[in-house]
Amino acid sequence: MLQTFNRSFRTAAWLGWQVESNWTDPLLFFAFSVLKPVSSVLILVFMYHAVAGAGSDAPIYAYIFLGNAFYIYVGAVMAGTSYAILDDRERYRTLKYLYIAPIAMPMYLLGRAVARFVVGTLAVVITLLVGIFFLNVPVNLLTVDWPLFGLTLALGIICLSFMGLALGAWTLTIRNEPWFLGDAVAASLYLFSGAIFPITLLPGWLQPLAYGLPVTYWLELLRRATLGPNAAAFPTFAAWSNGQLLAALTGLTLAFGLLAALAFRFFDRLARERGLIDAQSNF
Amino acid sequence: MAHEALAIQTENLGRVYTIKAIKKGEAKQRVALNDVNLEVGRGEFFGLLGPNGAGKTTLIKILTTLLAPTHGRATVAGYDVARQAAQVRPLINMVSGGESSGYGLLTVRENLWMFGQFYGLDSKSTYRRVDALLEIVGLSDRAHTKTSDLSTGLRQKMNIVRGFLTDPQIIFLDEPTLGLDVGASREVRSFVRNWVDERPDRTLLLTTHYMAEAEELCQRVAIINAGKVLACDSPANLKRRLQREAIFRLDVSPLRNGALSTFETLPGVRKFVHTPQDGKSELDLILAEDGAIASVVTTLTSHGAQILNLQKREPTLEDVFVDLVGLSMEQAAAS
Amino acid sequence: MSIVDRQLPTENRQLPAAPRQVIHGWRYFLRTVWARAYPRIIGQQREPAWVFFETFLPFLATVGYVYVYRAMEAPEEFVGFAVMGGAMTAFWLNVMWSMATQLYWDKEQGNLPLYIMSPASLMAILLGMALGGMLATSLRAAIILVLGTWLFQVPFAISNYLQLFAVFLLTMTALYGLGMLFGSLFLLFGRNAWQISQMMQEPIYFISGFYFPIETFGFAVALAAAILPLTLGMDAMRQLTFANGPALGFLSVEIEIGILLLLAVGFVSAAKLALDRMEWRARYEGTLSDRRK
Repeated sequence: MLQTFNRSFRTAAWLGWQVESNWTDPLLFFAFSVLKPVSSVLILVFMYHAVAGAGSDAPIYAYIFLGNAFYIYVGAVMAGTSYAILDDRERYRTLKYLYIAPIAMPMYLLGRAVARFVVGTLAVVITLLVGIFFLNVPVNLLTVDWPLFGLTLALGIICLSFMGLALGAWTLTIRNEPWFLGDAVAASLYLFSGAIFPITLLPGWLQPLAYGLPVTYWLELLRRATLGPNAAAFPTFAAWSNGQLLAALTGLTLAFGLLAALAFRFFDRLARERGLIDAQSNF
Repeated sequence: MAHEALAIQTENLGRVYTIKAIKKGEAKQRVALNDVNLEVGRGEFFGLLGPNGAGKTTLIKILTTLLAPTHGRATVAGYDVARQAAQVRPLINMVSGGESSGYGLLTVRENLWMFGQFYGLDSKSTYRRVDALLEIVGLSDRAHTKTSDLSTGLRQKMNIVRGFLTDPQIIFLDEPTLGLDVGASREVRSFVRNWVDERPDRTLLLTTHYMAEAEELCQRVAIINAGKVLACDSPANLKRRLQREAIFRLDVSPLRNGALSTFETLPGVRKFVHTPQDGKSELDLILAEDGAIASVVTTLTSHGAQILNLQKREPTLEDVFVDLVGLSMEQAAAS
Repeated sequence: MSIVDRQLPTENRQLPAAPRQVIHGWRYFLRTVWARAYPRIIGQQREPAWVFFETFLPFLATVGYVYVYRAMEAPEEFVGFAVMGGAMTAFWLNVMWSMATQLYWDKEQGNLPLYIMSPASLMAILLGMALGGMLATSLRAAIILVLGTWLFQVPFAISNYLQLFAVFLLTMTALYGLGMLFGSLFLLFGRNAWQISQMMQEPIYFISGFYFPIETFGFAVALAAAILPLTLGMDAMRQLTFANGPALGFLSVEIEIGILLLLAVGFVSAAKLALDRMEWRARYEGTLSDRRK
């Protein structure tokens, strides 16, 4: 069992890397991997400058920048698994062969997301460095709470993988317009997880949704770890200690792990019932 | 126009593919077609016979304006395929085996209508013709089925209707029965033959690696291997090349390697093909004369092989291929 | 007892005469456009799940930008900019995904060789793809615009309808020309088409100023960004639809219309040339009909 898990994961990670990186030369690959996330953060930076002028000392500036930078992981890891399904089913037409192979499909899908995680990390690091050195984001690398940062990051990535697995399984059952599913879900979570604006700005009836999302706690913890006391400028979680936030994130990660397992079983069965494992989107 | 009477003409036609290597600086070249000279008259049913990878599809791609030759030239209906593609296209169509065409979400009828539009046919007469063609190929009950729900065989029938829908002057059939079962292949062949019979002015170029198909349908056949045309004549004339030879098929108990090498020096044995089968060895022999069979039998017996069946038979196009290439089609494809 | 008759028909019965081909003129062009649009339109009708993914979810993304402006306590016009930008993303996505990348996708499906082999114009086929995606695009743009305006009380103040219409029309013409240009480039790029479309999305949103006025860039950068039709198109539209728009505009609307006109002519002509050129090169390199896995 463990051997199968290991084999599926490792092979998939290798394959994922080939698929991600093999389409062009390394320089272009690097440029493209970084261009997209850096541009999305630049949109926000210029929105800020359009309103506030040249200054960058308002707390919302660092809030938006960091939230957006770390949010790259949501797209990379969560959407990555759903893209693996699409790539294999529709583009390479190999999903049916993988399905009948003695591999652990969930592990395979998680493995496929590893490459996107690596590329995502690259993008996050570059975005942060650009922010710190060129765009006046007030992060001091010497005062970052690295243990809290590392622990939070790891927990978050595990949680995002679970969410990706559920999403990937859902993608299996959708025919013809599933292309934007991963990105679309990532984009909508953007709204409810306090990534680029405090969730207290949301209408009251939508706020409970934000509190139910692990990404909300994850981003708050990452901001606290990188900004230190400056992170408290927005009082959404002012009353919460780091420990409480970590507990919430851990609990939600476990819950999403369970959800992913159930979702995978359910959608997997549905997809096979409907004969969608080797479906083609033709239009 | 070059030759009004010729539907297809190629002069020293060649195509070299440059294959990009994974590592830089190691680009390789592969010769797919080499100095091909062919002339196909209007109204002719012409066959290109060769194993997989012989260059048949490359030739069809060039003639249908999808691929440019790297040297030589080709004309279709008198127009240069490389420089006058726009003049060639309204006159031709193509059906490839093993490929789907159109969109899975559309019904058979809708897909066919769509392709008709691309050829400038008006909707009303397109539908009339689509319905008639579907009737002929036995697909009318599936006219309103989404193509994604069709089996491979039925999809290929639709593909065939697409090719014939525009009533092309020259139609290219690239392995049209590939992947079809025996019954469906027969139906396709019957449809094609009737189409040609009823339209003596239409030209048909068929590529196939099925000998029987070429023999049954084509007025003339070009045998092609490794990008070169080795012979071009009517099936009867091609087989006549082997008239003086004697052709035998022998089934013997499984042969050891040593036995085969002795055939190479055996007097009277011109060509032989050994095909290992389940529990036996199949030997196809082209002999200089009937008498040579005696020494073959003696040699086999001396190697301890037991003769299960011996049959003298008429030459086929497969034998012609073996005679020209020295390998069976299957072996040539594998090599 | 059952009887199996293996006799095949000895004639194809009487086929109706072959329809007359009309392969010249604008009617034929439109016929091709409509025929290629048809699968998309029908596809969307038969698989209506796209409505959710194509409209509701992108709307949420737009809402995100609105809240960012709210968090920055920006003037209300900026909320309008975000809503308009969100609506306009639909057109960029249609051009890139329904048209430029679709051409590559059609190649993967084995349809491209059939298109090339037919006498139909490749431009008409590309236009058909985009037109087929127009239903989804228009709905997406309309929903973002209407819902955004209603929810966030966007203060529109349209100053000149005629100019607004001209700007929109010219922007779309130039944009679809640019999309066709990309389509032909992707024909050569092969499997890169997918990644490039994907990766270009945010950089284009940024450079074209989908969510903020481009004068923020400064003159030189804004001028360079003007090579993308949506940059000036949206700048002019912002100037024409918001009270505070002209103050935040880059160039005067008249000049922007002039440049858009040049872009429209330039991109459409370039697209035609590039399509011919790319088809020619693809035929030489043998990449037209091979499926890359």
